[in-house]
Amino acid sequence: MVDKNRGMAGQSKLTSFKMPAKAAVQKVLQEAGIGMALLVLITIFSATAPHFMDESNVTNILTQITINLVMATGMTFVILIGGIDLSVGSVMALCAMVAGLVLKNESVPVPVAIAAAGLASVIVGMICGFVNGFVSSFWNVPSFIVTLGMLNIARGGALEVTDARTLFEFPNMFNDFGTATLFGVPAIFLVALALVLLGWFVLTRTVFGRLIYSIGNNEEAVRLSGHSTFILKVAAFVISGLTVGIGAIIYMARLTIASPILGTGFELNAIAAVIIGGTSLNGGRGSLIGTFLGACLIGVLADGLILIGVGDFVRQMITGGVIILAVILDSYRARIADRGR
Amino acid sequence: MKAVFPKRLINLCLLRPSGDSFAAIRIQKMSSDVPPCLILGTFPMAGINKPFMSMLLGSVLMLSCVSFGYTQDKKPVIGLVMKSLANEFFKDMQEGAVKHVQERGDLTLVAVGMHSETDIDTQVNAVENFITKKVDGIVIAPADSRALVPPVARAIKAGIVVINIDVSLDEAAKKQAGVDLAFVGPDNRAGAKMSGDVLAKALGPGGKVVIIEGNPGADNAQQRKLGFDDAVKEGKLDMLDSRTAHWETEEANTVFTNMLTAHPDIQGVMAANDSMALGVVKAIDAAGKSGKILVVGFDNIPAVQPLLKEHKMLATIDQFGSKMAANGIDYAMKGLQGEKLTGWIKTPIELVTAPSN
Amino acid sequence: MQQADRVEARRWLAGVSGKAENAGKGHTMEPLLELRGIVKHFPGVTALDSVDLKVAQGEIHALVGQNGAGKSALIKVLSGAYTADAGEMRLSGAPYRPRTPLDALEAGVRVVYQEFNQLPYLSVAENLLFERLPRRFGVMLDRNTLSRRANDLLRRVGLEVDPAIRLEHLGIAQRQLVEIAKALSSTGRLLVLDEPTATLTPREAARLFDIVRSARGSGVTVIYVSHHLQEIFELCDRVTVLRNGRRIESFAVAETSAPQLVRLMVGRPLEAATDAIEADAAAETGSPSSAQQEPALRLRGLRVRGSPHPVSFDLKYGEILGLAGLVGSGRTELLRAIFGADRREGGEIYQDGHRVAFADPVDAVRHRVCLLTENRKEEGLVLAMPVRVNITLTDLAQVSRAGLLRVQTEVATARHWVRELDVRSRSIEQTARELSGGNQQKLIVAKWLFRDASIIMLDEPTRGIDVGAKAEIYTLLRRLAKGGKALLVVSSELPELMVICDRILVLSRGRLAGELHRHEFDEERILSLAYSEYLAGKAQPENRSS
Repeated sequence: MVDKNRGMAGQSKLTSFKMPAKAAVQKVLQEAGIGMALLVLITIFSATAPHFMDESNVTNILTQITINLVMATGMTFVILIGGIDLSVGSVMALCAMVAGLVLKNESVPVPVAIAAAGLASVIVGMICGFVNGFVSSFWNVPSFIVTLGMLNIARGGALEVTDARTLFEFPNMFNDFGTATLFGVPAIFLVALALVLLGWFVLTRTVFGRLIYSIGNNEEAVRLSGHSTFILKVAAFVISGLTVGIGAIIYMARLTIASPILGTGFELNAIAAVIIGGTSLNGGRGSLIGTFLGACLIGVLADGLILIGVGDFVRQMITGGVIILAVILDSYRARIADRGR
Repeated sequence: MKAVFPKRLINLCLLRPSGDSFAAIRIQKMSSDVPPCLILGTFPMAGINKPFMSMLLGSVLMLSCVSFGYTQDKKPVIGLVMKSLANEFFKDMQEGAVKHVQERGDLTLVAVGMHSETDIDTQVNAVENFITKKVDGIVIAPADSRALVPPVARAIKAGIVVINIDVSLDEAAKKQAGVDLAFVGPDNRAGAKMSGDVLAKALGPGGKVVIIEGNPGADNAQQRKLGFDDAVKEGKLDMLDSRTAHWETEEANTVFTNMLTAHPDIQGVMAANDSMALGVVKAIDAAGKSGKILVVGFDNIPAVQPLLKEHKMLATIDQFGSKMAANGIDYAMKGLQGEKLTGWIKTPIELVTAPSN
Repeated sequence: MQQADRVEARRWLAGVSGKAENAGKGHTMEPLLELRGIVKHFPGVTALDSVDLKVAQGEIHALVGQNGAGKSALIKVLSGAYTADAGEMRLSGAPYRPRTPLDALEAGVRVVYQEFNQLPYLSVAENLLFERLPRRFGVMLDRNTLSRRANDLLRRVGLEVDPAIRLEHLGIAQRQLVEIAKALSSTGRLLVLDEPTATLTPREAARLFDIVRSARGSGVTVIYVSHHLQEIFELCDRVTVLRNGRRIESFAVAETSAPQLVRLMVGRPLEAATDAIEADAAAETGSPSSAQQEPALRLRGLRVRGSPHPVSFDLKYGEILGLAGLVGSGRTELLRAIFGADRREGGEIYQDGHRVAFADPVDAVRHRVCLLTENRKEEGLVLAMPVRVNITLTDLAQVSRAGLLRVQTEVATARHWVRELDVRSRSIEQTARELSGGNQQKLIVAKWLFRDASIIMLDEPTRGIDVGAKAEIYTLLRRLAKGGKALLVVSSELPELMVICDRILVLSRGRLAGELHRHEFDEERILSLAYSEYLAGKAQPENRSS
């Protein structure tokens, strides 16, 4: 009677279409709050801020949110498993410095150097992520502490690599990528978008993604279900490192320099984007679509406030307020969801 | 001490199995060799990654015993208290000082660097240490213009000649502590005005400009802002906006891009340092307005040299940072010889403009 | 099997038990608590539908009903955790409208919830007296008083633990006692106990009854929620039956009978179901087919960490092997050690005659062994995620290709198992949290069957599950055994083991004290084996069911 039933998969194919559709609608509704906030903000700025809706300004906003978006994508994985990665800004500097050295190697053809630099950056990022994940999972140390350590290690490493010197004069072919556009959309933004879509696919459509969510909800249940939570947790940090490596390349292409002090405070922006996007800091709940909207919200806010001429200090206060507001709204959403049962 | 371990670790992991690209950097570092008279301070940043480090350290320690114990009458000891050596500017400054001392050959230098720009504690401790060790002179680039006044006052009362470089200690605080010491440093305000004047002259009266400021609250940032303001007023420029980008390239890029959207008619930019000028120039390139918006900066860092050459930047200011500490040491030596030093001894600043061709 | 025990076991299941000594006493007095027309809606559900209730001063009033009948909602309205949508409450004649749990506490209403709210990293003593920590000089913690008062309270509930150790080191039954002791730490007018005996051994439960009676003696009124009808007849004065958010009936305990209550709660009598299980189990036991094969699991000298006793036994396919023992006798630890969730200190495990390592849960699961933990919520389910996800979590490879999930396959699979095990949920997209306890348990079984587990270990499979659902779980377990699975079941409810098991092993302080076959099942005998290691110089402990 309770025999294994691998064969029954196909039999109810017809009836199976309804649920995913409904689930998808629910998912979309979950992001509706932040999406609405973004729309409201855009409407307000369109009305009050001159040039806000200009094509060039839209391009600018997309360019400006790119790096944060890339880092926040990796950060989402880490936060979903209930961790946090404070080291991303520093690791990005380390990635950039190593990649910069490779890029300035004149003994190989430029395309080779660019490819090698990209690879180097990503590998350095993934190694740092691996160390973060390994230490925090193996010794069961809070990732907050481990990544705080990595923050210092990577920053020191970045300074050490070139003895605190800034690298510049990269090949033109490389620098051109930073300003290239496709139908008015910055190429670097397209890279970030592709990364978000890939991440979204992984989180929602793959076994790995399912387990990432499950770990954030109930690690013990996942472990007792026979999955290696250790590997999964390490993988989340490695993904974070991977996105940081990509972010470093984007940074270098966009600003044509690699400075050992770059990326200071970027981790907080990335975390803010993830949290504003509705991902719970306790893990297990949230989505990359939310993170995408969160990064957009931060970018639109920064851009719009400058355009309407709000001063630096007030601007900082408003940004902080929005983060707190987002968390309050999220708490309400959770409460409403709880009441729904 | 936080920085020490990671740095060593990275050394071992990254630099030892170095490829060609690393080797290039390392050779460059070796050439700016640290002389044996440099004693590694609390933050042994410079020279730690030498292959024969332990040997060197040993000899340095021996030398230090000699210089403190028995040869006090022969060579005066000057302590140098620096800011963050993670900052290229201060690193250059310290290396310049070391080289200068080597050339002079008539004193012993003890240098202390900090972990970060705001690591005030380390500086205070360094000054206290120097007092205990009875050095002859102290040259200090204070991290905070008020917090460092009391230890400096104690040093002066202990009979040590103290020279203030880089950023001037607060006048009121100095008066309160009853001390008077010389400040050897550039006039940031005058420098910024020189830089701004170039822009004003190029644009003519009514030219529309914006300012990108440094860290709000930093003394040199404020001075440079004032200098730009002076240039704006004198050149009858139209200042549209002024915002901080915290000395950072990426932020300057973002902030200026948004300024440009808000004010598409911007004709000129004054950036309080060259790192930010770099970000501004990238933003101008991205907006397709190369050559239409003029940029001036400050600091004359290597990374802006190509921009000057390509006329993407109009001018920058060289305040000879690498010589500032060396100058301070020279004045400290003069003080030791009995010369009375007070007030602001301005160090030279030089306008660097695009080469005409 | 002895006839008397058979009857006892069935009586227990059906809730037929003798004594109702205190019945009738007190209900003529003025009501301490009076509820009129209490209504509580949740989106889509009416949890409480115009409930009237009178609880007399100084009585022990039982609330019974299946899960979802509204007991929990009623308790939460009483405790101020929920605010009623309509209706009024009076406490000692005065209007009582708690908006927060603090209001309720101040009014003298104390609630011991089934799921406790404890501080695992604080000491037992601090947990006990958390609401009123003794102070010295107004700011300092008075450690001496703290530990003295904690000791007093622990003694009252008969819990022998050091009040200075951290709560996290206690087992679930011990935590339950701590929670009850905490409720006794302050004097209240009304004490509400929600399933207090769910995790207690008979001895501890008997102790608890004494405590409750003495509380009544000192004028405290008690509302007692339990699935165990036996306890209600033993302890309570009056009983109210709830079903679907409505109050069905209230009786003096003396005036009703267990079958009547069950009929009112469930709407159908249970005897038939349990009889079927029994007949089924009896018929299968000793069937020669199971003796032929290699045992599914053979333990040789396995030692649980921290226990000096090596344990050896065989588990055959097609049988249900029970593990009996007192709380703390190492039953759970044994299961976890076999599963690789905890470390072992030696011993060998053979599966189908082959030596296996079971180094960690991943390894055990790969060998088609599964463990259904006692803490469904903490360890078994991903509560915030849908039924579908919970089922497929154990073997995502089956519903994916090259790491990509095949949603249609997954949906079909989940539907199949929900149907197969009769998991009652609105849809497979409902989150596991929304299911009742019995359905959560079925869901966990479903996920392991999906994984094609052949050896199924269950720890307290019916903890907190209502009467109707219990019978369903029993039927399900028998079905699994009949289908050729090997089952190892830990339970604190002896009658439960006696109904479903083919053999029972008794653990006493980590030692395997005895093995009983179905024809030898005898509650008295099991208990004396369970106590065997604890009897160093002590008298035979009391036994509440005799």
